Amino acid sequence: MKKLVLIVALLLCFSPAFAGDRFTLSGYLKNELSLRAESLNSDLTKFKNIIQLAGEYKIKDDELVFFTKMRYWYDAAFDWRDKYDQGQDAAGHVQRTDWLRDCYLDYNRDSWFLRLGKQQVAWGQADGVAVLDRVNPFDLTEYWLQDFEDLRIPLWMANINYAPKLNSNLQFLVIPDFEQSTSAPLYAPFTTYSYIRYEDWRKAQAGVDQQIYFPAQKFENSTFAFQWSDRIGDLNYTFNYLNGFYYSARNFTILKTGTGGPNSTWQVTRTFKRYEIYGSSFNKSVTNPGPLQGFTFRGDFGYYRDEPIYYGDPLIASSSGIKRWDNIMWILGADKTIFTKLSLSGQFGQYILQHSKPNGPTARRNFIFNPYTYGSADPVENIFTFKASTNFMNDRLRAEVLWSGTDDPQGRLSPKVSYELKDNLLLTLGLHYFYGSLMDSNGQYRDQSQIYSSVKYSF
Amino acid sequence: MKKLFLLLAALALIPGYCLAAGLEYFQVYTPKDGMSADEIMQIEYFVKYTRFAHDVKMLGKSYFVDKAGGVREKATSRTRITLGRKSDDIAYKDLVIFTTPQVRGMGTLTWTYMNPAKQPDSWLWIPSLKKIRKISASNSDDSFLGSDFTVEDILTRKFEDETYVLKGSENFKGYTCEFNKKTYFAGVPCFVIEARPKKSPWYYSKRMLWVDKSTGGGIYEEKYDVTGRIYQTIFKNFEIFNVNNKAYPTQTLLEVKDLRTGHRTVITNDNIKYDQGLKEDLFSERSLMQSRW
Repeated sequence: MKKLVLIVALLLCFSPAFAGDRFTLSGYLKNELSLRAESLNSDLTKFKNIIQLAGEYKIKDDELVFFTKMRYWYDAAFDWRDKYDQGQDAAGHVQRTDWLRDCYLDYNRDSWFLRLGKQQVAWGQADGVAVLDRVNPFDLTEYWLQDFEDLRIPLWMANINYAPKLNSNLQFLVIPDFEQSTSAPLYAPFTTYSYIRYEDWRKAQAGVDQQIYFPAQKFENSTFAFQWSDRIGDLNYTFNYLNGFYYSARNFTILKTGTGGPNSTWQVTRTFKRYEIYGSSFNKSVTNPGPLQGFTFRGDFGYYRDEPIYYGDPLIASSSGIKRWDNIMWILGADKTIFTKLSLSGQFGQYILQHSKPNGPTARRNFIFNPYTYGSADPVENIFTFKASTNFMNDRLRAEVLWSGTDDPQGRLSPKVSYELKDNLLLTLGLHYFYGSLMDSNGQYRDQSQIYSSVKYSF
Repeated sequence: MKKLFLLLAALALIPGYCLAAGLEYFQVYTPKDGMSADEIMQIEYFVKYTRFAHDVKMLGKSYFVDKAGGVREKATSRTRITLGRKSDDIAYKDLVIFTTPQVRGMGTLTWTYMNPAKQPDSWLWIPSLKKIRKISASNSDDSFLGSDFTVEDILTRKFEDETYVLKGSENFKGYTCEFNKKTYFAGVPCFVIEARPKKSPWYYSKRMLWVDKSTGGGIYEEKYDVTGRIYQTIFKNFEIFNVNNKAYPTQTLLEVKDLRTGHRTVITNDNIKYDQGLKEDLFSERSLMQSRW
């Protein structure tokens, strides 16, 4: 039914009757290429070609607007490189289900703004760290390297907004749709280390029966969320609340036959559990004269009630279990433009996992796993990011370096330059350098540091 | 008789006092012979920032032309509401949305304050993040959106940032625009004003301005570097828009040339509509959040 509605809407969009300045069509063609930095001659890790089309139709000026965005991509590296053959099916799955990025109707009148349909909603002020930005699940097929617009998996939802006074907004979200967050398939460049070890373990067993149970499609299984935004003096702030299913499944593993060693048979059941977010965010630019004039400060705070967290030893692919903990994450950031055109941005924060050490079998080491990357995390994980950017040649040539990581030390260093060859043609060249131990979120990709390029033609 | 004379003298001082204290919003002022450089420049700033109008909408195009003649183009939709509100010190709010494919949907919201020492508040909608980011104010000497204009040329320079000397009056020699080859304002009577920045050192040592006597618009200026050499010229074409029986002088074409690099930027403003009764809630984070691109 959904597809039928979409097709009708799309046909309407492209029909001649809709011609004129009420209809806008835009899109791009893009090629992304990456090579493993350690062996440039042969190790192609990505040759992804993307086409995106977006259409906007103003049914009644800005009061009633239909918008849709579609994307299709194909990564030829999975064809060309033998070692990714086994990942082809899973990668293909992503490109088949991920084609519809946006499809919604906007209604905007007086104090009301409604956006109904498939969309993504971004909360919070943090850059690159999902403290409050958890309304949509994430596609981590390429780790956290994509733009956040591409990382978020859009969902069908009702996004209802009401402004009781100037500069305020009350947002209420009802999300009956559900998608799980995705990570890279097996044998892809960014397959998590724990997944590889799990697969090794699975192959060594006589049998592993795997079942995944998604939340039943019932209204009460919807995600409900709200955000209150307002301004006091020069301070913008929000209060946030979300109650919904965690987008990563919890595994329950039961020994069916055998002793637990090789050649045993197992039952692995994956289910999704509800959790809650209580959060807040703020931003403030210091505009008055003084030593801090020109600084912008921003921050996010999130309290996660019943967040499912794995623990175990990632090096031996051992998950000792899963806990539903009450965790906290916060980020504070400061931005400033210094000298001429040099923009600096720094963030520091902590991911505080409530229990200092999980209880588990003493024969193994027990680490907390980061819920997104399944790399090991400290009970109090200190997180930082630093970004510097500037431009030359009348903004034609832009340069940027991003450094992010934790105090373990592990992290990623990503310099890049982009050059606007023509109005519609943008070239980008960059490097992602990963460092850290094999157990860590970034360190698990230390052999996947890559040089990449992209060519984007917009229309 | 003495009292009457004193009263008349006091009344005669009132316009001067008003100018010194700042011009009233939503009025149209024109400079007159006999005014001081400060009075003329207050009007020039008033015209530059369209403080006579309650709101304005326009479509803008920027052309970046390099020395070899290569042209890049960016298109924007620009909206401004003038408030001049003392309670929260807000002078006006601007919303600029890019409509060029490469950056389609990118938008900036800027609130500018009446207090000359206070920097603007700015928000940016970043399509690649689908998110609003509060951004720190750009430095005044930064390039404005990659053009040859600086941020203060377009947005932040205020009357209080410079000192002014009236160098005289003359008929403008005319300016031939490289963009459309038309010659503008030949023989138009102008005040010639020298403006020197109070900041020192600063990226320019002085500006020489030609202010049109009939509108108060600064139609031409020359910028000089710290060694006293001219390095940039800026031309602005003004057209009169009659709105509710008031004559609004409006910038319709701007051309800036960097004489050191040979690069120039042209901005054209079209489809200009004044006083449409725009609501202030259009100039809010919530409005940026509604971006679809």
